[in-house]
Amino acid sequence: TAGDKIFHFGACRVSMSMTEIRASFTAIKANIQSRDSIRTLSILSHPHSLHKVKSSDRCCITHHLFTFYVDKVFKHCRTEDSFVNRKISSIANSFLSARRKLGQCREQNNCVCGEESMEKFKQILANYEGLNVTSAAMKSLGELDIFLDWME
Amino acid sequence: GDALLPAPQNISILSTNMKHFLTWSPVIVQGATVRYSVEFQGEYEREYANGSWIPVSECSSTTATVCNLTEDISATVAYKLRVRAELGAASSPWGTMKGFFTRATTSLTPPVLRVLADGYHLLVELAAMGPTFHFLVLYWRKGQESKVQQKVMREVSSVVHLDTMEAGAEYCVKAQAHVEAINRSSSFSPTQCVRAQGDKSMWL
Repeated sequence: TAGDKIFHFGACRVSMSMTEIRASFTAIKANIQSRDSIRTLSILSHPHSLHKVKSSDRCCITHHLFTFYVDKVFKHCRTEDSFVNRKISSIANSFLSARRKLGQCREQNNCVCGEESMEKFKQILANYEGLNVTSAAMKSLGELDIFLDWME
Repeated sequence: GDALLPAPQNISILSTNMKHFLTWSPVIVQGATVRYSVEFQGEYEREYANGSWIPVSECSSTTATVCNLTEDISATVAYKLRVRAELGAASSPWGTMKGFFTRATTSLTPPVLRVLADGYHLLVELAAMGPTFHFLVLYWRKGQESKVQQKVMREVSSVVHLDTMEAGAEYCVKAQAHVEAINRSSSFSPTQCVRAQGDKSMWL
């Protein structure tokens, strides 16, 4: 498949190197998920799946989730494994680049989050805050494919 | 100690077709083997991870003066790159490449293509350039330059059928590579023309 794809988040159109992001995540997924000892809880999917977000809210929620990962998650995922750190860096920098493009479009198109979707995002933050930061960050990173699948 | 070992100089990046190689001049110490270690820092590390640097294990304690950073520079953001010399327990100060590197500045070469006429069939084969590439192929019947047709090719795993040609006619093809991640294209390859086989009925 081509390296890059065009994503439509509501009114916003963003090109993203999804193949590269997925390749980086797949390379470290088992390692990251092995560090997640709390199997009974999900950050992104509890209690409701992302798939319940209305399409008109996709632009705003996606931007929130990029910010969630960039601001909160990646920085607490540094490991002793250089290979894992390099792949996390690759994903983090790709998310930063994608968030910038989406942020520009979001301003131009005034993408707002509906109440229901905002509630969903607050639930994700509550799930995150409910754990100690390293566990929450590792679990969130381990669930990255849930976010990637939802975007695709 | 460290002061004796100078930092590597002439640090630069050679980037062609989305493949990125850091190079530097060797640090010469008579009768000794100097080794080098490379680290990179993306915009994320600068803005959100306290300016941390990430070592490249394949280029840690290497005797080479080149390091392949293609796998690590996999986002379209600004990167800082540095390398230091090491001799036994001693290491030099870091030598940091001037300015930033973003993969959007990679140089793109035209694709290598092979055009074939298989009877009445116009075929093209393109050399792969990497996962981030796709190709725009333009083809037309010679003399009908106003009727150029195009085909976008994402996978280049095999020969692709472009068109069915008219007997004895000559057809021309050229192609350019495109990288969506940086939204840039190469220049076009030289045009190649082939002739369809003659009309068999002429020989009956």
